[in-house]
Amino acid sequence: MIIDAIKSKFPGSIIGTGALVDKPMLIIKKDDILKVCEYAHELGFDHLSLITGVDYRDHFEVIYNLWSYSNKQDLVLKVMLDHENPKVQSVVSVWKSADWLERETYDLVGITFEGHPNLIRILLPDGWEGHPLRRDYDMQKEQYVLISETGEDIVTPDPSKALRPGKY
Amino acid sequence: MDQVEKKELIDTTKVRPKKRVPEISREKLEETGFLKTLLYSSERSRERKESILFSTVDQFLNWSRITSLWPVTSGLACCAIEMMAVSMAHFDIARFGMEVFRASPRQADLLFVAGTVTKRMAPRVKMLYEQMPEPKWVIAVGSCATSGGPYHESYCVLDGVDKIIPVDVYIPGCPPRPEAWLYGIIQLREKIKKEGYGAKWGMDK
Repeated sequence: MIIDAIKSKFPGSIIGTGALVDKPMLIIKKDDILKVCEYAHELGFDHLSLITGVDYRDHFEVIYNLWSYSNKQDLVLKVMLDHENPKVQSVVSVWKSADWLERETYDLVGITFEGHPNLIRILLPDGWEGHPLRRDYDMQKEQYVLISETGEDIVTPDPSKALRPGKY
Repeated sequence: MDQVEKKELIDTTKVRPKKRVPEISREKLEETGFLKTLLYSSERSRERKESILFSTVDQFLNWSRITSLWPVTSGLACCAIEMMAVSMAHFDIARFGMEVFRASPRQADLLFVAGTVTKRMAPRVKMLYEQMPEPKWVIAVGSCATSGGPYHESYCVLDGVDKIIPVDVYIPGCPPRPEAWLYGIIQLREKIKKEGYGAKWGMDK
């Protein structure tokens, strides 16, 4: 029913439909995600509970989990992104909670959200190399964190400054 | 001979056990426990080649230290919830004189590393340890703080807190039960009892 409402409003921007576990799911063209999200917000989806990014080696997926408190129903929106240059429009203007969720997805998966007001790392310190939840992240490369005089984090590959002597 | 022995009934609620009063001077000395202390310290001093006097000093200092170990209020993850359970009435570490969780590391002498030590938190934990005055002890609690646990060889978690600070006692578990904490605390007390401060200060000569 929700799927039909969105499909009739944007017939050109829906690539596919389906179900994620028991939630109705829509795959959207990546240029139209902001438009669809605004319309979903009008339909009563007032809570964005989660944004996740998945690396499928040949492409990225960004998944938006929506929930409507008034109608008590779920909706899942998906966007496919190409692997070389993953970019998608930010939905902070629709839901405020997208701010930190998009920063987390940027931090760990490395997807750029265009139009985000403050797109910096949220969990890892600034200067960390790579995005750890990508498939091509180098797990052998160790990075350590030090505190500078002013209290900021310094990322260093040198364990001698971070660990006790004899422990690296 | 039909003599029935007459038994006296004793009301046990009204009888109190008699305490033996020490009569001779040696018994009086044993009563104070001083002789026992002296004998014990002479055994220890023979073992560790110290003088009797300073091993008695050690014993007194160690006794005063183990009866007032004050931990820092610091918890990194879910093991800190068990730390709260240990400090509450049911398991009650006030029996060891440890109920005073100090809000400042400068007033504490025991650090519970309770939880996952991430690489971003590691320099902070190290700073906390360095701010504590000597003598100080560290207990690594849970599998994360001992070896990394489920996050072993992760990109963001240290494989054990002993990579950044020295650890005295390791308590395994995920998270350890409060009984395991109490056992770990008792092990630390046993360790402190064997330390010699007179030797450290050069008074054993």
